Amino acid sequence: MRAAFILGAIFVGANLINYSVLGNTGDYLPGGARMGEWKAARIREACYPAFVVSERDATLPLLTTNDHRVAWQDLKQARTLTTALHCYLVTHPNAICEKNNRAYIVDYINRYFSKFDEMVDIAKRYGESEITNVKNLWDSPRNRAISAALIQDASSGRLIKADFGWSTPAAMRPMLDQYKGKTDNCPRA
Amino acid sequence: MSELLSLIRAPAIAFIGGFLVIGGWIYAPQLSGLLPGFSSGTSSTSPSASSGGSWFADANRLGRPETAPVLRSCIARMLDLGRGEKVEPGVVYSMLKAGSMQASISALAGKSNMWSGNQTVMLAASWGELASCIYAQDDRELCDADNRAAMVEATTKFFTFAKQTETSKPPISGRDAQVLSNFGDRLSNALRNHRRYGTLIAADYGSFAPPEIARIMREEKQTRDICKR
Repeated sequence: MRAAFILGAIFVGANLINYSVLGNTGDYLPGGARMGEWKAARIREACYPAFVVSERDATLPLLTTNDHRVAWQDLKQARTLTTALHCYLVTHPNAICEKNNRAYIVDYINRYFSKFDEMVDIAKRYGESEITNVKNLWDSPRNRAISAALIQDASSGRLIKADFGWSTPAAMRPMLDQYKGKTDNCPRA
Repeated sequence: MSELLSLIRAPAIAFIGGFLVIGGWIYAPQLSGLLPGFSSGTSSTSPSASSGGSWFADANRLGRPETAPVLRSCIARMLDLGRGEKVEPGVVYSMLKAGSMQASISALAGKSNMWSGNQTVMLAASWGELASCIYAQDDRELCDADNRAAMVEATTKFFTFAKQTETSKPPISGRDAQVLSNFGDRLSNALRNHRRYGTLIAADYGSFAPPEIARIMREEKQTRDICKR
Protein backbone atom coordinates (compact mmCIF):
# COMPACT_ATOMS: atom_id res chain seq x y z
CA MET A 1 0.00 0.00 0.00
CA ARG A 2 2.77 2.38 1.02
CA ALA A 3 4.71 1.60 -2.17
CA ALA A 4 1.61 2.28 -4.28
CA PHE A 5 1.13 5.60 -2.53
CA ILE A 6 4.74 6.64 -3.13
CA LEU A 7 4.60 5.55 -6.78
CA GLY A 8 1.34 7.48 -7.22
CA ALA A 9 2.88 10.60 -5.69
CA ILE A 10 5.93 10.29 -7.98
CA PHE A 11 3.62 9.88 -10.99
CA VAL A 12 1.50 12.91 -10.11
CA GLY A 13 4.56 15.02 -9.22
CA ALA A 14 6.42 14.12 -12.41
CA ASN A 15 3.39 15.01 -14.52
CA LEU A 16 2.89 18.30 -12.71
CA ILE A 17 6.53 19.21 -13.33
CA ASN A 18 6.28 18.12 -16.96
CA TYR A 19 3.17 20.25 -17.54
CA SER A 20 3.82 23.33 -15.44
CA VAL A 21 7.59 23.63 -15.22
CA LEU A 22 8.88 22.04 -18.42
CA GLY A 23 5.84 23.26 -20.37
CA ASN A 24 5.34 20.02 -22.30
CA THR A 25 1.62 20.68 -22.61
CA GLY A 26 1.53 18.74 -25.89
CA ASP A 27 1.92 15.51 -23.89
CA TYR A 28 -1.59 16.01 -22.50
CA LEU A 29 -3.47 16.51 -25.76
CA PRO A 30 -6.01 13.88 -26.73
CA GLY A 31 -4.72 10.85 -28.60
CA GLY A 32 -6.49 9.03 -31.40
CA ALA A 33 -6.00 8.46 -35.09
CA ARG A 34 -5.87 12.18 -35.94
CA MET A 35 -3.18 13.10 -33.42
CA GLY A 36 0.43 11.95 -33.52
CA GLU A 37 3.52 12.64 -31.45
CA TRP A 38 4.13 16.39 -31.18
CA LYS A 39 7.84 15.89 -30.55
CA ALA A 40 8.17 14.19 -33.95
CA ALA A 41 6.60 17.07 -35.89
CA ARG A 42 8.69 17.94 -38.95
CA ILE A 43 7.05 21.35 -39.35
CA ARG A 44 8.96 22.57 -36.33
CA GLU A 45 12.34 22.34 -38.05
CA ALA A 46 10.93 23.34 -41.42
CA CYS A 47 9.95 26.68 -39.92
CA TYR A 48 13.26 27.53 -38.26
CA PRO A 49 14.26 29.90 -41.12
CA ALA A 50 11.02 31.84 -40.59
CA PHE A 51 12.35 33.09 -37.26
CA VAL A 52 14.95 35.24 -38.98
CA VAL A 53 12.93 38.45 -38.96
CA SER A 54 13.73 42.10 -38.58
CA GLU A 55 12.98 43.80 -35.26
CA ARG A 56 10.91 46.37 -37.13
CA ASP A 57 9.00 43.90 -39.31
CA ALA A 58 5.59 45.60 -39.44
CA THR A 59 3.77 42.43 -40.48
CA LEU A 60 4.38 41.12 -36.94
CA PRO A 61 2.97 42.51 -33.67
CA LEU A 62 4.45 45.95 -33.10
CA LEU A 63 3.67 48.65 -30.57
CA THR A 64 2.49 51.78 -32.30
CA THR A 65 2.40 53.97 -29.20
CA ASN A 66 4.81 54.84 -26.41
CA ASP A 67 1.96 55.11 -23.95
CA HIS A 68 1.56 51.43 -23.08
CA ARG A 69 2.22 48.90 -20.29
CA VAL A 70 3.29 45.96 -22.43
CA ALA A 71 6.41 44.30 -21.01
CA TRP A 72 9.18 43.73 -23.54
CA GLN A 73 9.19 40.00 -22.73
CA ASP A 74 5.49 39.78 -23.60
CA LEU A 75 6.01 41.69 -26.84
CA LYS A 76 8.87 39.38 -27.80
CA GLN A 77 6.78 36.32 -27.06
CA ALA A 78 3.82 37.66 -29.02
CA ARG A 79 6.11 38.17 -32.03
CA THR A 80 7.66 34.70 -31.69
CA LEU A 81 4.29 32.96 -31.36
CA THR A 82 2.90 34.86 -34.34
CA THR A 83 5.96 34.14 -36.49
CA ALA A 84 5.80 30.44 -35.73
CA LEU A 85 2.05 29.94 -36.07
CA HIS A 86 2.00 31.95 -39.29
CA CYS A 87 4.59 29.58 -40.70
CA TYR A 88 2.76 26.46 -39.49
CA LEU A 89 -0.66 27.52 -40.76
CA VAL A 90 -0.17 30.03 -43.57
CA THR A 91 3.22 29.34 -45.16
CA HIS A 92 2.67 25.56 -44.95
CA PRO A 93 -1.13 25.20 -45.14
CA ASN A 94 -1.03 21.41 -45.60
CA ALA A 95 1.33 20.76 -42.69
CA ILE A 96 -1.64 20.32 -40.35
CA CYS A 97 -2.77 17.26 -42.33
CA GLU A 98 0.12 15.17 -41.00
CA LYS A 99 -0.80 13.83 -37.55
CA ASN A 100 2.49 14.61 -35.77
CA ASN A 101 2.35 18.14 -37.12
CA ARG A 102 -1.29 18.45 -36.12
CA ALA A 103 -0.48 17.56 -32.50
CA TYR A 104 2.32 20.13 -32.46
CA ILE A 105 0.23 22.83 -34.14
CA VAL A 106 -2.78 22.27 -31.87
CA ASP A 107 -0.49 22.68 -28.85
CA TYR A 108 0.95 25.84 -30.41
CA ILE A 109 -2.53 27.26 -31.07
CA ASN A 110 -3.26 26.79 -27.36
CA ARG A 111 -0.08 28.65 -26.44
CA TYR A 112 -0.87 31.45 -28.90
CA PHE A 113 -4.34 32.10 -27.47
CA SER A 114 -3.29 31.64 -23.86
CA LYS A 115 -0.60 34.32 -24.31
CA PHE A 116 -3.15 36.66 -25.86
CA ASP A 117 -5.58 36.03 -22.97
CA GLU A 118 -2.81 36.55 -20.42
CA MET A 119 -1.83 39.89 -21.97
CA VAL A 120 -5.45 41.07 -22.11
CA ASP A 121 -5.90 40.08 -18.45
CA ILE A 122 -2.86 42.17 -17.48
CA ALA A 123 -4.14 45.07 -19.61
CA LYS A 124 -7.48 45.03 -17.77
CA ARG A 125 -5.70 46.40 -14.70
CA TYR A 126 -4.86 49.57 -16.62
CA GLY A 127 -8.20 50.20 -18.29
CA GLU A 128 -9.78 50.37 -21.69
CA SER A 129 -6.94 52.15 -23.51
CA GLU A 130 -4.43 49.47 -22.52
CA ILE A 131 -6.80 46.70 -23.62
CA THR A 132 -7.01 48.48 -26.99
CA ASN A 133 -3.19 48.63 -27.12
CA VAL A 134 -2.95 44.87 -26.60
CA LYS A 135 -5.71 44.09 -29.08
CA ASN A 136 -4.05 46.34 -31.66
CA LEU A 137 -0.75 44.61 -31.00
CA TRP A 138 -2.31 41.23 -31.81
CA ASP A 139 -3.92 42.57 -34.95
CA SER A 140 -0.87 42.66 -37.22
CA PRO A 141 -1.15 41.42 -40.82
CA ARG A 142 0.27 38.04 -39.81
CA ASN A 143 -2.21 37.71 -36.90
CA ARG A 144 -5.04 38.39 -39.30
CA ALA A 145 -3.66 35.79 -41.69
CA ILE A 146 -3.51 33.29 -38.81
CA SER A 147 -7.16 33.99 -37.93
CA ALA A 148 -8.17 33.46 -41.55
CA ALA A 149 -6.19 30.19 -41.71
CA LEU A 150 -7.82 28.95 -38.50
CA ILE A 151 -11.29 29.58 -39.91
CA GLN A 152 -10.25 27.85 -43.12
CA ASP A 153 -8.88 24.83 -41.21
CA ALA A 154 -11.98 24.58 -39.01
CA SER A 155 -14.36 24.88 -41.95
CA SER A 156 -12.51 22.19 -43.89
CA GLY A 157 -12.36 19.74 -40.97
CA ARG A 158 -8.61 19.94 -40.66
CA LEU A 159 -9.09 21.11 -37.10
CA ILE A 160 -11.92 19.78 -34.96
CA LYS A 161 -12.90 20.28 -31.32
CA ALA A 162 -11.76 16.77 -30.36
CA ASP A 163 -8.19 17.69 -31.38
CA PHE A 164 -8.07 20.16 -28.50
CA GLY A 165 -9.83 18.05 -25.88
CA TRP A 166 -10.50 19.94 -22.67
CA SER A 167 -8.11 22.74 -23.63
CA THR A 168 -10.03 24.29 -26.55
CA PRO A 169 -9.23 28.03 -26.58
CA ALA A 170 -12.33 30.17 -25.96
CA ALA A 171 -11.71 32.10 -29.19
CA MET A 172 -11.81 28.90 -31.25
CA ARG A 173 -14.91 27.31 -29.71
CA PRO A 174 -17.54 29.12 -31.83
CA MET A 175 -15.83 28.31 -35.14
CA LEU A 176 -15.21 24.68 -34.16
CA ASP A 177 -18.86 24.33 -33.11
CA GLN A 178 -20.05 25.96 -36.32
CA TYR A 179 -18.23 23.46 -38.55
CA LYS A 180 -18.83 20.43 -36.34
CA GLY A 181 -18.99 17.12 -38.20
CA LYS A 182 -16.91 18.17 -41.22
CA THR A 183 -14.54 15.56 -42.60
CA ASP A 184 -11.14 16.90 -43.45
CA ASN A 185 -10.19 17.75 -47.00
CA CYS A 186 -6.53 16.85 -46.61
CA PRO A 187 -4.85 15.49 -49.73
CA ARG A 188 -4.73 11.68 -49.48
CA ALA A 189 -1.43 9.98 -50.20
CA MET B 1 -9.36 1.19 5.87
CA SER B 2 -7.60 2.33 9.04
CA GLU B 3 -4.29 1.53 7.37
CA LEU B 4 -5.19 3.78 4.45
CA LEU B 5 -6.21 6.59 6.81
CA SER B 6 -2.99 6.36 8.77
CA LEU B 7 -1.08 6.37 5.49
CA ILE B 8 -2.64 9.52 4.15
CA ARG B 9 -2.94 11.38 7.46
CA ALA B 10 0.63 12.66 7.59
CA PRO B 11 0.78 13.86 3.92
CA ALA B 12 -2.69 15.40 4.31
CA ILE B 13 -1.63 17.33 7.40
CA ALA B 14 1.57 18.42 5.64
CA PHE B 15 -0.43 19.52 2.60
CA ILE B 16 -2.98 21.49 4.61
CA GLY B 17 -0.22 23.06 6.71
CA GLY B 18 1.70 24.05 3.59
CA PHE B 19 -1.44 25.43 1.99
CA LEU B 20 -2.24 27.51 5.06
CA VAL B 21 1.25 29.01 5.17
CA ILE B 22 1.70 29.65 1.43
CA GLY B 23 -1.97 30.44 0.79
CA GLY B 24 -2.08 32.68 3.84
CA TRP B 25 0.91 34.65 2.62
CA ILE B 26 -0.55 35.03 -0.88
CA TYR B 27 -4.19 35.66 0.01
CA ALA B 28 -3.80 37.51 3.30
CA PRO B 29 -3.88 40.95 1.59
CA GLN B 30 -7.27 40.18 0.05
CA LEU B 31 -8.60 38.55 3.22
CA SER B 32 -7.39 41.37 5.45
CA GLY B 33 -9.13 43.81 3.13
CA LEU B 34 -12.40 41.98 3.68
CA LEU B 35 -12.14 42.03 7.45
CA PRO B 36 -13.01 45.34 9.09
CA GLY B 37 -10.38 46.52 11.52
CA PHE B 38 -7.66 44.46 9.87
CA SER B 39 -7.43 46.58 6.78
CA SER B 40 -4.06 46.77 5.06
CA GLY B 41 -2.70 50.16 4.24
CA THR B 42 -3.93 51.34 0.93
CA SER B 43 -3.10 54.82 -0.17
CA SER B 44 -6.10 56.06 1.76
CA THR B 45 -5.69 57.25 5.31
CA SER B 46 -6.66 54.02 7.02
CA PRO B 47 -5.43 53.63 10.60
CA SER B 48 -2.98 50.90 9.69
CA ALA B 49 -1.60 52.93 6.82
CA SER B 50 -0.96 55.90 9.01
CA SER B 51 0.78 53.74 11.57
CA GLY B 52 3.14 52.32 9.01
CA GLY B 53 0.95 49.80 7.25
CA SER B 54 0.05 46.21 7.97
CA TRP B 55 2.21 43.16 7.32
CA PHE B 56 0.93 42.84 3.80
CA ALA B 57 0.77 45.42 1.05
CA ASP B 58 -2.56 45.72 -0.71
CA ALA B 59 -2.47 43.36 -3.68
CA ASN B 60 -2.87 46.29 -6.09
CA ARG B 61 -0.32 48.66 -4.58
CA LEU B 62 2.71 47.24 -6.36
CA GLY B 63 2.65 46.65 -10.09
CA ARG B 64 5.32 45.60 -12.55
CA PRO B 65 8.43 47.81 -12.38
CA GLU B 66 9.55 46.85 -15.92
CA THR B 67 6.55 48.63 -17.42
CA ALA B 68 6.69 51.72 -15.20
CA PRO B 69 6.20 54.90 -17.25
CA VAL B 70 8.83 56.75 -15.19
CA LEU B 71 11.48 54.40 -16.56
CA ARG B 72 11.17 55.92 -20.02
CA SER B 73 12.59 59.28 -18.99
CA CYS B 74 14.81 57.97 -16.20
CA ILE B 75 16.57 55.26 -18.21
CA ALA B 76 17.14 57.72 -21.08
CA ARG B 77 18.65 60.16 -18.58
CA MET B 78 20.83 57.49 -16.94
CA LEU B 79 22.20 56.32 -20.28
CA ASP B 80 22.55 59.88 -21.49
CA LEU B 81 20.81 59.10 -24.74
CA GLY B 82 20.83 61.71 -27.46
CA ARG B 83 17.88 62.70 -29.62
CA GLY B 84 16.68 59.94 -31.86
CA GLU B 85 18.50 57.26 -29.87
CA LYS B 86 15.99 54.76 -28.54
CA VAL B 87 16.29 51.87 -26.14
CA GLU B 88 13.58 49.75 -24.60
CA PRO B 89 13.62 50.89 -20.93
CA GLY B 90 12.22 47.56 -19.77
CA VAL B 91 15.19 45.75 -21.31
CA VAL B 92 17.72 48.03 -19.58
CA TYR B 93 15.84 47.60 -16.29
CA SER B 94 15.95 43.80 -16.64
CA MET B 95 19.68 43.95 -17.38
CA LEU B 96 20.24 46.01 -14.25
CA LYS B 97 18.27 43.44 -12.26
CA ALA B 98 20.23 40.57 -13.78
CA GLY B 99 23.52 42.27 -12.86
CA SER B 100 22.25 42.78 -9.33
CA MET B 101 21.33 39.14 -9.02
CA GLN B 102 24.81 38.09 -10.10
CA ALA B 103 26.41 40.47 -7.60
CA SER B 104 24.16 39.20 -4.81
CA ILE B 105 25.17 35.62 -5.55
CA SER B 106 28.85 36.64 -5.54
CA ALA B 107 28.34 38.33 -2.18
CA LEU B 108 26.62 35.26 -0.78
CA ALA B 109 29.49 33.12 -1.99
CA GLY B 110 31.86 35.38 -0.06
CA LYS B 111 33.53 36.67 -3.19
CA SER B 112 34.94 40.02 -2.22
CA ASN B 113 37.74 41.09 -4.46
CA MET B 114 38.54 44.37 -6.20
CA TRP B 115 36.35 43.54 -9.20
CA SER B 116 33.26 42.60 -7.23
CA GLY B 117 33.77 45.60 -4.94
CA ASN B 118 33.77 47.96 -7.91
CA GLN B 119 30.79 46.21 -9.39
CA THR B 120 28.85 46.65 -6.16
CA VAL B 121 29.64 50.38 -6.14
CA MET B 122 28.53 50.63 -9.74
CA LEU B 123 25.27 48.78 -9.04
CA ALA B 124 24.56 50.84 -5.93
CA ALA B 125 25.19 54.04 -7.90
CA SER B 126 22.97 52.86 -10.79
CA TRP B 127 20.05 51.99 -8.53
CA GLY B 128 20.61 55.19 -6.56
CA GLU B 129 20.54 57.26 -9.76
CA LEU B 130 17.38 55.53 -10.92
CA ALA B 131 15.64 55.99 -7.55
CA SER B 132 16.72 59.66 -7.42
CA CYS B 133 15.37 60.20 -10.91
CA ILE B 134 12.02 58.63 -9.99
CA TYR B 135 11.93 60.84 -6.91
CA ALA B 136 12.61 63.90 -9.06
CA GLN B 137 9.36 63.31 -10.97
CA ASP B 138 6.03 64.61 -9.78
CA ASP B 139 5.14 63.15 -6.37
CA ARG B 140 1.86 61.80 -7.72
CA GLU B 141 3.75 59.58 -10.16
CA LEU B 142 4.10 57.15 -7.26
CA CYS B 143 0.30 56.75 -7.12
CA ASP B 144 0.79 54.50 -10.15
CA ALA B 145 1.39 50.90 -9.03
CA ASP B 146 4.13 50.25 -11.61
CA ASN B 147 6.00 53.45 -10.76
CA ARG B 148 5.68 52.66 -7.07
CA ALA B 149 7.08 49.16 -7.65
CA ALA B 150 10.05 50.64 -9.53
CA MET B 151 10.72 53.10 -6.68
CA VAL B 152 10.45 50.35 -4.06
CA GLU B 153 12.82 48.08 -5.95
CA ALA B 154 15.32 50.82 -6.78
CA THR B 155 15.54 52.13 -3.20
CA THR B 156 15.74 48.62 -1.72
CA LYS B 157 18.53 47.63 -4.11
CA PHE B 158 20.40 50.89 -3.54
CA PHE B 159 20.45 50.54 0.25
CA THR B 160 21.33 46.83 0.02
CA PHE B 161 24.32 47.40 -2.28
CA ALA B 162 25.41 50.54 -0.43
CA LYS B 163 25.52 48.45 2.76
CA GLN B 164 27.60 45.79 1.00
CA THR B 165 30.21 48.37 -0.05
CA GLU B 166 30.79 49.27 3.61
CA THR B 167 32.28 45.87 4.24
CA SER B 168 34.03 45.34 0.90
CA LYS B 169 37.74 44.50 0.86
CA PRO B 170 39.67 46.50 -0.21
CA PRO B 171 37.53 49.41 0.98
CA ILE B 172 35.94 51.61 -1.67
CA SER B 173 37.51 54.99 -2.45
CA GLY B 174 36.50 58.07 -0.47
CA ARG B 175 35.03 59.61 -3.61
CA ASP B 176 32.79 56.59 -4.26
CA ALA B 177 31.74 56.56 -0.61
CA GLN B 178 30.79 60.23 -0.88
CA VAL B 179 28.72 59.63 -4.02
CA LEU B 180 26.82 56.79 -2.34
CA SER B 181 26.36 58.81 0.83
CA ASN B 182 24.82 61.68 -1.19
CA PHE B 183 22.43 59.25 -2.87
CA GLY B 184 21.58 57.78 0.54
CA ASP B 185 20.75 61.20 2.04
CA ARG B 186 18.65 62.19 -0.94
CA LEU B 187 16.73 58.92 -0.97
CA SER B 188 16.15 58.98 2.78
CA ASN B 189 14.51 62.39 2.36
CA ALA B 190 12.51 61.05 -0.57
CA LEU B 191 11.27 58.11 1.47
CA ARG B 192 10.31 60.37 4.39
CA ASN B 193 8.29 62.62 2.12
CA HIS B 194 6.56 59.76 0.34
CA ARG B 195 5.83 58.07 3.64
CA ARG B 196 4.11 61.27 4.79
CA TYR B 197 2.24 61.60 1.49
CA GLY B 198 0.98 58.03 1.77
CA THR B 199 2.53 57.08 -1.56
CA LEU B 200 4.86 54.60 0.17
CA ILE B 201 4.02 52.51 3.22
CA ALA B 202 5.96 49.91 5.22
CA ALA B 203 4.04 47.03 3.66
CA ASP B 204 5.32 48.04 0.20
CA TYR B 205 8.79 46.99 1.32
CA GLY B 206 7.71 43.73 2.96
CA SER B 207 9.34 42.09 5.93
CA PHE B 208 12.89 42.11 4.60
CA ALA B 209 13.40 45.83 3.99
CA PRO B 210 16.91 47.24 4.55
CA PRO B 211 17.16 48.69 8.10
CA GLU B 212 17.39 52.30 6.82
CA ILE B 213 14.07 51.97 5.00
CA ALA B 214 12.38 50.04 7.83
CA ARG B 215 13.41 52.77 10.29
CA ILE B 216 12.00 55.59 8.13
CA MET B 217 8.76 53.71 7.55
CA ARG B 218 8.46 53.11 11.29
CA GLU B 219 9.35 56.62 12.46
CA GLU B 220 7.45 58.72 9.93
CA LYS B 221 3.67 59.04 9.99
CA GLN B 222 1.31 59.57 7.12
CA THR B 223 -0.07 63.10 7.22
CA ARG B 224 -2.07 63.19 4.00
CA ASP B 225 -2.96 61.16 0.98
CA ILE B 226 -1.88 62.81 -2.24
CA CYS B 227 -3.34 59.97 -4.33
CA LYS B 228 -6.89 60.62 -3.15
CA ARG B 229 -8.87 62.62 -5.68
